[in-house]
Amino acid sequence: MPSTQTPSITGLATDPTSLRTDVGDAEVSRVDLAALRATMTELHASGYSMLLDLGAVDYPERTPRFDVVYHLLAMPSSASTVAEVGTPKRVRVLCGVDGANPVCPSVMDIWPSADWAEREVFDLFGITFTGHDDLRRIQMPYDWEGHPLRKDYPLRGPARERAPRPAFALKSNVVAGTPPSGRTLEALQAQVKAARERAARESEK
Amino acid sequence: MSTTAGPTTPPEPMTPEIVSREGNSMVLSMGPQHPSTHGVLQIMLEIEGETVVKAEPEIGYLHTGIEKSAENLFWTQAQTVIERMDYLAPESNALCYALAAERLLGIEGKIPERAQTIRVLFSELTRLASHCVWLGTHGIDLGAISAFFYCFDLRENLLDLQEAAGGARMHPNYVRIGGVNGDLPQGFIDRFDALLEKFPGRMRDLRGLLQANPIFQDRTIDVGILTPEEAVRWNVTGPALRASGIAYDVRRAFPYCGFETYEFEVPTRTEGDAYARFLVRLDEMEESYKILKQVRKRLDTPGAVMIDDPKIAAPPKETIALSMEALIHHFKIVSEGFRIPPGDAYASVESPRGELGYYIVSDGGNRPYRIRTRPPSLYNLQVLKHIAPGNLIADLVVMIGSLDPVFGEVDR
Repeated sequence: MPSTQTPSITGLATDPTSLRTDVGDAEVSRVDLAALRATMTELHASGYSMLLDLGAVDYPERTPRFDVVYHLLAMPSSASTVAEVGTPKRVRVLCGVDGANPVCPSVMDIWPSADWAEREVFDLFGITFTGHDDLRRIQMPYDWEGHPLRKDYPLRGPARERAPRPAFALKSNVVAGTPPSGRTLEALQAQVKAARERAARESEK
Repeated sequence: MSTTAGPTTPPEPMTPEIVSREGNSMVLSMGPQHPSTHGVLQIMLEIEGETVVKAEPEIGYLHTGIEKSAENLFWTQAQTVIERMDYLAPESNALCYALAAERLLGIEGKIPERAQTIRVLFSELTRLASHCVWLGTHGIDLGAISAFFYCFDLRENLLDLQEAAGGARMHPNYVRIGGVNGDLPQGFIDRFDALLEKFPGRMRDLRGLLQANPIFQDRTIDVGILTPEEAVRWNVTGPALRASGIAYDVRRAFPYCGFETYEFEVPTRTEGDAYARFLVRLDEMEESYKILKQVRKRLDTPGAVMIDDPKIAAPPKETIALSMEALIHHFKIVSEGFRIPPGDAYASVESPRGELGYYIVSDGGNRPYRIRTRPPSLYNLQVLKHIAPGNLIADLVVMIGSLDPVFGEVDR
């Protein structure tokens, strides 16, 4: 039986999303960053009442570097039977975001459910959403360095990458000078310093 | 590694400004070690007396970087970590991931009939097992201990079936890309029959313990009301959405694994409160039982359980000694996995908590380029900060229980 596989492509695909139009899971459209807000408002007005999901993908060798991926669902807000719901329309909107200046407009005012999803993309990819009123890290600790889901972020964390441990000290973080949390020593020292300064300020008062 | 820090990252506070302290209010941190938060949820509460003025859930205590880990594993290996996301319904995750990968491979229509049936079987078994945990712990939150034991007794039978088929109680890793991992073992059908026989009586017991219980009703009726418009706006799916009157079930809206050929209802309620969510889940368990009975009939038909494509599915072990090609294929798949043509795809299933979706991107290699999960628990939990204000702290516990979050999935 012939295999369903295609031969492997050479090198890394810089934009795999443009290659497969035969995957019929949703209506796919790609918008410019400048037109994103207008498109989203329009889609919301035309019945896409549910922001199913919001995520991002990193293509380090492509310009623009990031894709923010929106999945929208046209859910009627009064559909009490399965027949009324039917098969709701699903649309995937991809929006390229520049790598040097990763800023993207927030859609939180259109769909409030974008709140945590945008925070997560900010946390793990470092994309800033303008118009989001509470943009802070959600999964990683507040003082974490870097954005783990970026492709250039090492799997085990930058601190471990920078200070390879000698073979005899595999079990000893102390010997290698690497804190087990994966945070860098500098970050921890800065944290301690800031806490001391804060305490000093408060005692002056 | 100078590239890891985002150039335009705004300065981040060391401690979050979560709630303001004004007037008579007081700030209370509930969790992350609180037993009623079903895991490691922390809620920063601003309270006046016992009334919640503002609630801000803090998540991330269970973040394990599963999406990052999966990018560094083969397509098949990634399934192992993916099952750990929603640890109460592992096979829903595995199934959804397999569906998305099959969509990219273009083999959606080539999965054998029996494999589809077994996938339906495990998707419903896992739903029952998950709802058993939810029901037991939801009861305990409200002081009803007895239901817990009945639930976990039933769950043990369900997990026994998972163990028999996949070799592990919690994470059988049984649903694979291309089908399922081997046919059902000997003796499985007998145990399955015993379960089907036991289930209706056990369901009657559970309903008898809680449904008409006046204390349980007092605690849950009119608590955490979610109108259909709000539910849609806040992206709530699953039983919580159906309790608000919208009959959206992925099994019916976007059928997969042949769910369109099974007869079952999509239970809905219109009240939208915690009691309605409770009733919807109980009805859903009965509907799963109906599906399982239909599955049982179809299981009598033998057939293949894995796609017949040696580039995707390793050939059976016994053929290795007899055929050179089988040996090569086996070696290739074990040592370097298989490749998936470049592209992106989204697939979703109805997990016990709602619409579980996987958006996967492949660059043509033998590892996933990116796996983005649409975790139903994350969005269902997010609505908490909207419905909690104005309620008592005791009711907050009821709301968390009725939304049924699983933190492996919220934090990933």
